Amino acid sequence: MKQICLVCQNVDCKSRGSEALMKELEKKVTDKGLADVEVRPYMCFGACQEGPNIVLYPEKSWYAGVKMEDVNDILDHLAGGPDVKRLDRIDPSLKELIYQLLDTGVF
Amino acid sequence: MEGILFPRGVVESREHLNNYRRRGGYQALPNIKNLSPQKIIAEVEAAGLRGRGGAGFPTGKKWLLTAQNEERPHYVVLNGGEDEPGSKKDRLLMENLPHLVIEGVILTSYAVGATNAYLYINQQYGAAIQSMTDALSEAKDAGYCGEHILGTDFSLEIFLTSAPPNYVAGEDTAALEVIEGKQPLPRQKPPFPATAGLFGKPTAVNNVETLANVPPIVANGHQWYRSFGTAESPGTMIFSLDEEVNRPGIYELPFGTPLRFLIEQCGGEVKNNKAIKAIQPGGPSSAFLLPDKIDLSLDHDSVRAAGSSIGCGVIHLVMEGTCMVEEALRIAEFFAAECCGQCPACRMETNVLATMLKKAQQGQGGQPLLEQFGKVISFNKGKGFCNLINMPAPPIESALSLFRSDFECHLANGRCPTH
Repeated sequence: MKQICLVCQNVDCKSRGSEALMKELEKKVTDKGLADVEVRPYMCFGACQEGPNIVLYPEKSWYAGVKMEDVNDILDHLAGGPDVKRLDRIDPSLKELIYQLLDTGVF
Repeated sequence: MEGILFPRGVVESREHLNNYRRRGGYQALPNIKNLSPQKIIAEVEAAGLRGRGGAGFPTGKKWLLTAQNEERPHYVVLNGGEDEPGSKKDRLLMENLPHLVIEGVILTSYAVGATNAYLYINQQYGAAIQSMTDALSEAKDAGYCGEHILGTDFSLEIFLTSAPPNYVAGEDTAALEVIEGKQPLPRQKPPFPATAGLFGKPTAVNNVETLANVPPIVANGHQWYRSFGTAESPGTMIFSLDEEVNRPGIYELPFGTPLRFLIEQCGGEVKNNKAIKAIQPGGPSSAFLLPDKIDLSLDHDSVRAAGSSIGCGVIHLVMEGTCMVEEALRIAEFFAAECCGQCPACRMETNVLATMLKKAQQGQGGQPLLEQFGKVISFNKGKGFCNLINMPAPPIESALSLFRSDFECHLANGRCPTH
């Protein structure tokens, strides 16, 4: 199934480097030939203080406080490897709100 | 009908200094030494004057906080940044009654102990800027502002700053930023301007219509003022009607006037005798009401009790045959476009709500989408520096609850119930 890797591009995440993260993810997804993965900007997940935030959908994994050195682990996950547990620290109620929005097609 | 601001209840033409003086203008200034600042504040408080910019905050209370602050200097800012869709009351006041507005600024400055005041006027209002500039120069020549006004110890310099033409630029603290030479971005509050405003000093920021009410209160006293309006909303308010009625325009009416009077007597009834589907009584951020509220009393408390707000008096009528999904979407897109972008939560909320309504309009998302609106709104409530983050909620939530069938029709058929 196609995975969408949503990278928050709201002001707060941007100020923490999410633009460069998105570019790096796009580049490495192409380099690795992950044809089923699409990297896309997202307007905001509402967890600014934990940013930069990345959500994998429809799988529903949420990675917070992502740094450049985390990108390879996220790519491994996207390629079928284990999830990156150290970056999973978002409150479940916020996750539910955002996942429900994504489920209703709000991109 | 006799008004407080417009002598005959309607705007006529630009009033020159002599005409304004002839009808009692600038009469308080020659005797200003017999009138203490405390007395003016007490009179305005007793009159129950509330801000006309939208929030309805008691003006006297705002002034007292500024006046009592020991930091110096104090400033006054006349907020004429008006950019609310459908509102042109402040523009017309500045264009036609510039001396009334300027006298309001002078008396306010005296009351709060300010020696500098700024007229902050929407840069698109060329005629208003010209009229205020001319009137300021006339007032200076007559000795009503400048050094030692009419030989007293009271001195006041008045400056004019043009306001960027966007919605957020009319927010009080965004106005202060612009006057300081910065971008129109609201500040985090507290501190409020009364404590730390312009250049960090105590500042009274008041709407144009609010300050236009000050000279009549000072001249005639609070009891006279309270002979207009209701106990909780004394005085008059300028209401704006747009193109849905035969005589669109602005009308000054006492608070407590029934909405029906405004629409039928002032506006000359709805065009083509169309039926009203919804009423939005206080601009784009106010909740929709059903047409059975047509006899609603136009005052702060009654409109709030009915579930909406009076805002700055812009009355929008939605005609039968209009789709409420489209109406809600139009409003959501307005706030998304006007969000200044500095608060992440506001950017998220305004953009997500507009996207959600777009989905609903296109018939996507189904019932679960409708359940998400309340969650997104409550998650973001109060998380911005200014009130814009809270503004899309009342119109969207009221549209959803009062006109749910319009939304369900879109979700079921992907089109308007009205097409």
